[in-house]
Amino acid sequence: MTAALLFWICAGTAMAGALGAAVVRNLFQAALLLGLSLVGVAGLYLFLDAGYLACVQLIVYVGGVLVLILFATLFSSDVLGLVQRAPRWAMPVGAVSALLAAGVAWRLADAGLRAVSAAPAATPSPATPLGDLLIGPWLVPFLAAAALLTLALVAAVALVQRFRLPEDDRG
Amino acid sequence: MADALLLAPTSLGAYLLVAAVLFVAGVVAVTTRRSAIGVLIGLELMFNAAGLQMVAYSRFRPGIAADGDLAALFIIVVAAAEAGVALALLHAAYRQRRDIDLELHRDLRQ
Repeated sequence: MTAALLFWICAGTAMAGALGAAVVRNLFQAALLLGLSLVGVAGLYLFLDAGYLACVQLIVYVGGVLVLILFATLFSSDVLGLVQRAPRWAMPVGAVSALLAAGVAWRLADAGLRAVSAAPAATPSPATPLGDLLIGPWLVPFLAAAALLTLALVAAVALVQRFRLPEDDRG
Repeated sequence: MADALLLAPTSLGAYLLVAAVLFVAGVVAVTTRRSAIGVLIGLELMFNAAGLQMVAYSRFRPGIAADGDLAALFIIVVAAAEAGVALALLHAAYRQRRDIDLELHRDLRQ
């Protein structure tokens, strides 16, 4: 009973935070609501016996990505959403895209539930330690992720760098 | 069997419901936000929905071991790289127009 209550608290936090982040006018509040949703998902990872993922979610997402997004709100001239009205097309476009996405999610969830309930109820295999999988069958994606992170780091620095050609100095 | 899997607490259906709500919220944010940060927030929500589904399926489908966990881990890695590059892009856009309202950057289409 307590577990169910805790589960729905986490699930409710994740869902309410996500919906709030999608619709609230104030961008700073939207980013904070995104953080709330991320924390809720971390709680759900704990319920799924994925403690390591929950930690990574908190450290990388809430500690890293969210801070980047909060920093990026400084670039907006209208963080509080006071000046600009939502464009007229926002409501219909939002409603249509929500319906489409909900339809896709419903179809996928239905197919997934069918597949899982049709699968033989085999004894759950003992969880392989993540490290063994990373060094084994997931080695190539692991190395590719390392390359991707390095590339992203260099690309980010290159994008914010002001490259000046020698001719610029004359003007 | 399908009913038991649906929406009882800590069942697969409950996780799929949360992931679906996150995904829908992300799509709405991406399509309706005028500010690039709002779009970025929507993208992160969709990444999270995908990761949550990966782990949930990995737990409830017997015989898949922890592959879903690793997929979610790689999703987090990609999201982190994406956020870093996105911040750099926003900085570059801000330097040009002094704002990151996407309406001001319509000419990128041409």
